[in-house]
Amino acid sequence: MATLELDSVTKVFQDGNDEIVAVDDVSASVDDGEFLVVVGPSGCGKSTMLRMIAGLESITSGTLSLADRVINDVKSQDRNIAMVFQSYALYPHMSVRENMSFGLEESTDIPDDEIQQMVSETGELLGISELLDRKPSELSGGQQQRVALGRAIVRDPEVFLMDEPLSNLDAKLRAQMRTELQRLQDDLGVTTIYVTHDQTEAMTMGDRIAILNDGRLQQISTPLECYHKPANKFVAGFLGEPSMNFFDVTLQDGVLRGDSFEYPISSDVQANLGDTTDLVLGIRPEDIELVESASGDHDFETVVDVIEPMGDENTVYLQFDPDAGEDAETLIASTDGFTRVPEGDEVIAQIPEDAIHIFDRATGDALHNRSLDDAETIDLE
Amino acid sequence: MFDNLRRLFAALSPSSRADEEVRPDGGVVSEESARQPDSGSDPGPVGRVTEALNSRFGSDFTESSVFWLLPFLLMALFVYGAIIWNLLISLTDYRGFANAPDYSNLDFEMYARALGDPGFIDAAINTFVLLIGFTGVTLVVGLVLAILIDRGIRFENSFRTIYLLPMSLSFVVTAQFWLWMYNYNNGIVNSVIGVFGLGPVSWLGNQAVVLPAIIFALMWQFSGYAMVVYLAGLRAIPSEHYEAAKVDGASTMKMYWRVIIPQLKGATISAAVVLMVFAMKAFDFLYSLVGGYRPPNGADILATKMVREAYANLNWAYGSAIAIVLFAMALSVIGPYLVYEYRRDNL
Repeated sequence: MATLELDSVTKVFQDGNDEIVAVDDVSASVDDGEFLVVVGPSGCGKSTMLRMIAGLESITSGTLSLADRVINDVKSQDRNIAMVFQSYALYPHMSVRENMSFGLEESTDIPDDEIQQMVSETGELLGISELLDRKPSELSGGQQQRVALGRAIVRDPEVFLMDEPLSNLDAKLRAQMRTELQRLQDDLGVTTIYVTHDQTEAMTMGDRIAILNDGRLQQISTPLECYHKPANKFVAGFLGEPSMNFFDVTLQDGVLRGDSFEYPISSDVQANLGDTTDLVLGIRPEDIELVESASGDHDFETVVDVIEPMGDENTVYLQFDPDAGEDAETLIASTDGFTRVPEGDEVIAQIPEDAIHIFDRATGDALHNRSLDDAETIDLE
Repeated sequence: MFDNLRRLFAALSPSSRADEEVRPDGGVVSEESARQPDSGSDPGPVGRVTEALNSRFGSDFTESSVFWLLPFLLMALFVYGAIIWNLLISLTDYRGFANAPDYSNLDFEMYARALGDPGFIDAAINTFVLLIGFTGVTLVVGLVLAILIDRGIRFENSFRTIYLLPMSLSFVVTAQFWLWMYNYNNGIVNSVIGVFGLGPVSWLGNQAVVLPAIIFALMWQFSGYAMVVYLAGLRAIPSEHYEAAKVDGASTMKMYWRVIIPQLKGATISAAVVLMVFAMKAFDFLYSLVGGYRPPNGADILATKMVREAYANLNWAYGSAIAIVLFAMALSVIGPYLVYEYRRDNL
């Protein structure tokens, strides 16, 4: 258990004469016992980052240190880390017991009977005691996942690395394992780095999440802060399902002018924008209210295009100008599952000013985030 | 042609098949119910036999026999028939220029004679040593080569071709140039060890070294094959297994020994069986080495002994008995392999 420090870590792959930058100047610090979730779209470099920490990929530049010791050139055998692979990578010729004791036998001098003791205890912790003498091929996917986890836990390493460990499970089991993993990590207090592309896992599991795109770290913060105070447009769009609505707008005289609407903003909001006039307006679907009649500047007439009922909520696709056909700008709103809005009906969409995000169109940086005055109970730090 | 056969078949079993629905694609729908003999109509003797065969071997046994019966019978006659005939001959006293073996008096005299013949015992031991030694050494060399190539050395494809090439050569060719290499006076092997002040060794003349020398030559020819089989096995192991073992703290040696090589069990068994069969067929190599039935002293194996007894000494019955022993040895190699594969549902 120790603090893990990444300082300007960069990984460049050589592909013939081309250089592919997989991880670009990532700096982050993971505290002792912290659960950090690294999330990002496919190919964003998150797995490469994890593999560098594991010692399975070399580090092109920057330093990686564990407990104040630089481990760039320490072989992965000697790093005292444990990794859970997406495919589990259980050794097929060994029983569950042998799979779990292998790491201890290879990395420590603990006598055999103590190792067996530790394996049995971990087996009990994970509820796989009765599976210890089976071969991996005789286990279900969920059981294999547990064994892979047990193989890591029994080592009692300084850092757990998990590479999308739940992605091969079905949805129900995944939700169950998610909770269990969190509980385990809490109990064990081992520093954990968890890579996933699933934003539900990212939002629910981590103490903090690190969002990566194109090898660059976009934001590293608590899940709620990332959600409500995204550092840039990418983070805002990546977190949340359905994702945030974005509209290209231009600021003129205190009014955001888009293709299909004009949105006046208060001077408080305007103060955050500086001199930038090419902007992107963002609004989360759940912040849009559907109301009976237009009553202010922030209410817009729209036509319901498509409704996707999800049970607990409906996802409603609204069009500002139905005559525009394919090009019509669409606004996605979430309403609760009991609101009935027939397709083709005209509704009024209210975009509350305290819920809008404004981004710089050129750089994508967030200039203004939603106010959280009405959400005092949320602890962002 | 098939249509005619089917019509003929239908004519032979009149009642049960006549009402079968013929599908537009030419196939025949044989419903379970269609084969139940109707009460009151007689299926006929052929019908009854087909019925019994079909219920024993599967519903299309008789119908498909057109395709497999002829090759099956030819195979039975020329392979298994010949083996049984050979077994019969080995029980007679047939030798010399007699016109035909005398089958009236069968006994195991030839097998008793074999057990009392030091030449036979030597040949059997040599065969066994060749079988085990050659297979073992070849597998180890093949495995090492495969692991080295799998670790992504340069010119991987060229190395693979180079190692595999000797296997495509005929035994006659390899025997001839190992004969040159092992030459006492100017062979390259003696020249090389001469550099270190050793030798010269009479590789093919010295009884103590001739068998290892032959095993080495055969190993040279077949290690490429073992390498290819192992390479395929290695490529089937996901890279996560290597990585998991590394993260688990295993050194490279331990990783191969405990995680990778145990997973090559299937490849080892397949390669070992093929190599053992080659070892028993080493007759070609030995025959080409000396250009006759009499291999160098200390390198006589059952195959050469068998041919020598039969065709040089005209001891037909004795040769047959040796052949049966060799056959039993081959069977003891192949048999367990077939059982193993059958258990794993590969057959």
